[in-house]
Amino acid sequence: MENTINFGIDLGTTNSAIAKFVKGDVVVFNNPLDYGRSTLPSVVYYKKDRIVIGNKAKEYLERDPKNVVGLFKRKMGTSESFQIKSINESKTPVELSAQVLKELKTFVNTGDSLESVVITIPASFDSIQSNATKEAGKQAGFKQVVLLQEPIAASLAYANMKKSKEMQDGNWLVYDLGGGTFDVALVRIKDGEMKVVDHEGDNFLGGSDFDRLIVEKLIIPKISEEYSFEDLENQMKSASGKYNAKYYSLLNQAEEAKIRLSAVSSAEIIVERMEDEEGNEVDMEITITKSEFNNLIKDSIDGTIEMIKTILTRNSLKSNDIQFNLMVGGSTFIPFVRQHVEEVLQIPSNCEIDPTTAVAVGAAYYAATKQKEITKEKSEKKKSSLSIKASYNKASKESDELFAARVQGNTDGLFYKITRQDGGFDSGLKPLSERINEDLPLVENTYNFFTLTIYDGENNVVETDIEPIGINSGFGISGQPLPEDICLEVDDYDNPGHTRLALIFERNTVLPTKRTLTFPINKPILKGNESDRLWINVYEGPQTSLPEANKLIGVIEISGKQVSRDIAKGSDLEITIMISESRDVTVSGYLNMSDQEFKNVFNPKERDTNVSLLKGQVLDLSSKLDEEIELATDKEDYETASALSKVKKEMESVAEEAEKLSDDDVTDKRYQLEDKKRKIAQEIDSATKNKRLQKATDHYYDIKSECEELIDASGNDHERKTFNDIVNQEASFMATKSSLKIQEKSDELQAIIGQIRWRTPEFLKGIFAYLIENQAKMNDQSQAKSLIDAGKFAVESQNWDRLREINFGLFDLMPRGSKDEISTKIGFGL
Amino acid sequence: MLEQNFKQYKPYFELLDQLFEVERKLDKIQEENSITRNLNKMKDIFENLFSNSSGADVGFTYHDPIGEQYNETRLDLEASIAGNSTENLIVTEVIKPIIRYKSGGSTLIARKGVVVVESKNTK
Repeated sequence: MENTINFGIDLGTTNSAIAKFVKGDVVVFNNPLDYGRSTLPSVVYYKKDRIVIGNKAKEYLERDPKNVVGLFKRKMGTSESFQIKSINESKTPVELSAQVLKELKTFVNTGDSLESVVITIPASFDSIQSNATKEAGKQAGFKQVVLLQEPIAASLAYANMKKSKEMQDGNWLVYDLGGGTFDVALVRIKDGEMKVVDHEGDNFLGGSDFDRLIVEKLIIPKISEEYSFEDLENQMKSASGKYNAKYYSLLNQAEEAKIRLSAVSSAEIIVERMEDEEGNEVDMEITITKSEFNNLIKDSIDGTIEMIKTILTRNSLKSNDIQFNLMVGGSTFIPFVRQHVEEVLQIPSNCEIDPTTAVAVGAAYYAATKQKEITKEKSEKKKSSLSIKASYNKASKESDELFAARVQGNTDGLFYKITRQDGGFDSGLKPLSERINEDLPLVENTYNFFTLTIYDGENNVVETDIEPIGINSGFGISGQPLPEDICLEVDDYDNPGHTRLALIFERNTVLPTKRTLTFPINKPILKGNESDRLWINVYEGPQTSLPEANKLIGVIEISGKQVSRDIAKGSDLEITIMISESRDVTVSGYLNMSDQEFKNVFNPKERDTNVSLLKGQVLDLSSKLDEEIELATDKEDYETASALSKVKKEMESVAEEAEKLSDDDVTDKRYQLEDKKRKIAQEIDSATKNKRLQKATDHYYDIKSECEELIDASGNDHERKTFNDIVNQEASFMATKSSLKIQEKSDELQAIIGQIRWRTPEFLKGIFAYLIENQAKMNDQSQAKSLIDAGKFAVESQNWDRLREINFGLFDLMPRGSKDEISTKIGFGL
Repeated sequence: MLEQNFKQYKPYFELLDQLFEVERKLDKIQEENSITRNLNKMKDIFENLFSNSSGADVGFTYHDPIGEQYNETRLDLEASIAGNSTENLIVTEVIKPIIRYKSGGSTLIARKGVVVVESKNTK
């Protein structure tokens, strides 16, 4: 167990933060409900049944002042208290501060129990105010509270960053300009002791004032100049004003512009979605320059400089007696603040520490030097004496779902909180009673997980037996799973002349579902030319089967007759396939080039058989069958050959009947033929499955041994790792008995082989020799010649990288057709 | 889980904000060039930016919360409250949409929406 305190808290007027010293470094904890930020606005909002602290409370600060309190730190140590309407009670600044401190405890995700802590206070705090801060700490459950002045904390953060803990004797300033308050302190170190000598401040100056100035002094005048408004500023700023909502939207943009102006010289603010009094739509882009912004805040900054001058005079110091001016607080990110203060005072601005977390960081460093003083009462983990029985719908189509729970055990003085795990919902801290009823808002079409946490009065987590709350929204309620794979037929580029299936939705995908794919088409479609066709064929059935063996559930044919212009080869075809809960299949094909969409809905109960497609498939299937019989006979695989021969007869009759069928046949004939065809294809499929599997397996092992040899000879670590990864999966993909899966792995190995080969001199020289042989075919003879000359030189000088480039260049000069013949039956492929 | 650092994706969020603006503008005009299609395509691309270890699509989507109810339990929005009342608040202006990170079946708020809310009562 650690003997030093280690935890430091910046309990700020506007924002607070908590940090921990861990092994020589300080970690600032993130706000778990506002990730990306490590600060917590020091604002508390009381609702009838809950307490909300931080960002959400801040949003309500101006609008609901009777129930929301902020800036209470200014009232620390006074007898003043805040009357809260919703709970009909008054709360003291100490109680409010304790709420903020308790909330900060929830930031700590390291599992530490927080009993000792360093809390910072402004240099201006007297002993009553300091004691009030200690009391707040005690109320929040800390047993030991050590106070530290904010300017000292910031200085410690700086000293530790510099790793020169022994700072030189002398004076410096800590200039703290935050979101809403300004403080400046004169800090002195003498004989190793650091102390605040003097301070000044303005409780009503900070970054949010600058945002307001941008809107009021720059944006509103510019809008009023171009459009007709009567007293726009008032209409914006008054809560009952017509443009009050717009005011907040502009404040938001102003803040963003302010942040941008720290980096660039001008920023744009767009004003739109509002009408002037004559009904003209406002549409303006207002540019704010850095110099405009600087002028705007100059008076405020000059005010802070005056305070520093007062301090210097009071302490009989000159600028050159001050080592530096340490910049703290988010608003010191503004370059003008740093520069202007430095220029006027002639004291260097020191911007080396992160101004937003410096005080908390310094407090943590200080905490690391302070011993814990608590007698180690065996910090007995609060045994779970609570049992919670929850009841809720695990699936819902509503936008929210009621969560109910019954709590057994003593709930006195306990609180609970429910949060959604995506970070989008927080119920706030609510008093725990025997029953919990809470409406939980759901994000559509996803699993929503919620966590119910019980806290004691000091925000320590109380363990319970409750499990995470999981509610599935939208899908999966009545949505049924797909019984079979849904695939798209594509040209098989590895197997010219053939097609294969590409998986669109896997079996058991929950409906409804949708997917869009884009393919470059592999042949041109000329306008008016009926024989130029693209096919979008959607099949139901295993991806591993032959396309003809699966059930066609949707088809769209796009021919030259339908297109509004010539469609070039290589242009995109965007295919969208959507399956509804009732399994209606919507297929659409969109041709980018002509901006045309072809769409059709297919109902699973109604069959839609395209006669010309059927005829084509029957023809293909016949030739495939002949091919397979021949192959099997050649290989003396008589078993397969005889199985296939039996199918042959049936095939012939189907082919004959299909031939007779007219394209607009209205009888049931085409359905019968379609069924027969499918059956034949399935038979061919199963008779040849073993053959295909064997072929794929043999091919895999061949490639594998070739790859292994090459890696041993000239592979690198990465290639070896990829190879080993594939080999390690061997058992699992072989077990699938899917020739496609195995082929996929062979392709991956092939890619490694390619990679290595294109590095080896022998291979590069071989390719180069092949290309020289084919020089006559190349498109640009003079370029070919100069490349070949350069290649010969590269071979002589053994510059293999260069030779590789030259080979690529020469390949590009080869006529297209000779590269590879691809099949264009479907019109696109993989 | 919430510690996920989305800061590095800020340029993506800025692009998504622009897409959202374009979508909002398109809603108001009639046009014949099917710009919506290109827009949806871009949204698709964002939704499938990466894939996770099990091959599921991972990416970002945005959500327009206009007209939705608002109260202090909503952590997916940063709201400014306009008008006099804080009862029955609804989102009346969306400055930035909510950006969600989607990975297979689960989502996370990657960037809060920025909105102005007003009471229905005063509307």
